[in-house]
Amino acid sequence: MAYFTQLLIDALLLGGIYTLMAIGLSLSYGVARVINFAHGEAVMLGAYGAFWGFRLLGLDPLMAIPAVAMLGIVVGAIVFRLTILPILDSQQENQILLTFGIGLVLQSLAVMAWSADERATNPDYALSSFELGDLVVPGARLIGCAVAGVLVAILFVWLKFTELGRASRALADNREAAGLMGINVPAMFAFVFGLGVALGDTTGAIVSFILPVTPFMGFSILIKSFAIVVLGGLGSIVGTVIGAFVVAFAETAVAYYVPDGNGWAEAVAFAILFVVLVVRPNGILGTQATL
Amino acid sequence: MRAFIARTLAVALGIGAAGVAGAAEPLKVGAALELSGRFVAFGSHCKRGIDMASEALKRDLPGTPIEFIFHDVESNAASTVSAFTQMTSEEKLDFIIGPIASPIAASAIPAWRQARPIWIVPGASTVTLEKEIGSDLNFFHPFPYAYQYHVEIAGMLKQYVNTKTVSIIYTDDDYGRTHLPLAEKYLRDAGFTIVSEEIVRANSADMNSALTKIAFAKPEVLLALMQTTDSITLAKQVYTRRLKVPYLIGTFATQLKEWQDAVGLAQEGWTGLASYLPNLVNFPANPDYPKLLPTTSDWEATFRAKYSQEPNYDDAMCYALAAAMAIATKNAGSNDREYVAKALRELDINTVYGHLKWTATEGGTKQNAFDQMIIFQRQGGKSVTIYPPEAANGKLQAVQH
Repeated sequence: MAYFTQLLIDALLLGGIYTLMAIGLSLSYGVARVINFAHGEAVMLGAYGAFWGFRLLGLDPLMAIPAVAMLGIVVGAIVFRLTILPILDSQQENQILLTFGIGLVLQSLAVMAWSADERATNPDYALSSFELGDLVVPGARLIGCAVAGVLVAILFVWLKFTELGRASRALADNREAAGLMGINVPAMFAFVFGLGVALGDTTGAIVSFILPVTPFMGFSILIKSFAIVVLGGLGSIVGTVIGAFVVAFAETAVAYYVPDGNGWAEAVAFAILFVVLVVRPNGILGTQATL
Repeated sequence: MRAFIARTLAVALGIGAAGVAGAAEPLKVGAALELSGRFVAFGSHCKRGIDMASEALKRDLPGTPIEFIFHDVESNAASTVSAFTQMTSEEKLDFIIGPIASPIAASAIPAWRQARPIWIVPGASTVTLEKEIGSDLNFFHPFPYAYQYHVEIAGMLKQYVNTKTVSIIYTDDDYGRTHLPLAEKYLRDAGFTIVSEEIVRANSADMNSALTKIAFAKPEVLLALMQTTDSITLAKQVYTRRLKVPYLIGTFATQLKEWQDAVGLAQEGWTGLASYLPNLVNFPANPDYPKLLPTTSDWEATFRAKYSQEPNYDDAMCYALAAAMAIATKNAGSNDREYVAKALRELDINTVYGHLKWTATEGGTKQNAFDQMIIFQRQGGKSVTIYPPEAANGKLQAVQH
């Protein structure tokens, strides 16, 4: 029983981390229809922001979140206006290549600026945990999961109840109609793209005390996030959350119950993705265009 | 008579011209290193060591010009092959040093075979190199092989651990898969029972499931076969998981300052292997070249003054190898490939990285060096040498998480 309960704990906490990783990517696609292949590098830059804040200023990574998020919105919006907006209506392959290229540039710049050394922030809670009999709940992951919950809740409130959120949904539904209703489409796209980057940066600040921080950390995060977003339904926030927990539970269950399951876990996650896409080509909750 | 004088003058002038040309022409050595990409830490440290040695050579060994021509192999196989092709086919280099990482060095083998230059690989513990080209006299391997790690680890555990049960956790990449059968062999030979083996994906965000299985297996020892990134994730998760395994055994990453900084308190109790540790190992100066190859501690002081940080093992190893190549060239009295190679094979010198003398390995490599290793344990935030007994200044202690 302890074995199974520990599985549930590990899967739940992993699902929170996966949600964090994928939510910004989902938002970018949901509104701007841009698959941001530099999303992993946004996470990487957020992690470095938190790391340097911690190292140089003694700033707790959680306290660094507002700063890295604000920076993410601004830089993301500028990058969108300068590079992505001009090709927004061209083939989606162009956006993929462009954002992938931006990611590679950011990765190389990070190597040049900070070297490839592995780093991490180590606030007190990074190595904390709670023991409940034979069960263990790692503190850092619990915080990550809690932040994911708060961010998703804020995102929902923002989308449902604020003027900008409603404008974003209008854009997602029908860009032309939204423009005719007076919404500044390029500015709104840039803002939402920047928000996606900010969510990536926030994720980076969280994972800076869970995983090693390196210039190359982004790629594996991107691949996993992309799988989760596709599984949940491209552009669906709820779908992304569901996708994150489906992947986390599938991976963890296989890791616990199948011999050498840790080696198979990722393959199983992608097998689920394959099956879901065969049955529902738009993912679990995806339609042609919904948040 | 006039003709004789003319011929004599011509010969004398010719010799003089050749002599001048010979003095001006440095021995060119290709340095194929990971200067970008995943393994940039290895390559950049090695380059720093070579750069430092190049400066020292101009100052302390004048008249033996040696020039290192750097190529970035970008930590990938395709770039490595094209760098080797360029160095051997276009630049006609007879000497190559690097790359360092196991998979990258292994990927260079087919391209190296085209011209078989003298090749020094300052890293790569994979036995692939040994099996493929270890017996080739143009191949030099100044680094321990994977099985040499496990001979030492098994010896250390046999000395200290009574209940001989081990769990092994390894990554699904080349590193983990190469080391696993070797670890199994030497641990079993030492009388240990392997109670569980857990594979994890390289770059995995979550190793908790593997740790839960290990906790249920209740081993006395956890042996981790993974490289730096994964060993950081593992060390932190072992700590937060409060894994009740008394002895935590790592391999090479534990010695790296970046590993120690990244894992923080979770480093306590982990053991690691090293050929060299700053401030812990002090090799004597070379009596013939005391300025170029001073004691390790003097060299470290120079390094710190220059770079404002502690040297890494790659810094020290590549410095020592660059200096050794220059000494071999001096001993050869020529830049001729075969003469320099012969002089390199005959080296028997003290360096800042230890004694350099090429010996054969049990696996078939004809020229292996710098394979001496110590095992240390992180105790109270410091490295304490626990094995071999003649080098130990402490004992293996059980971990209390």
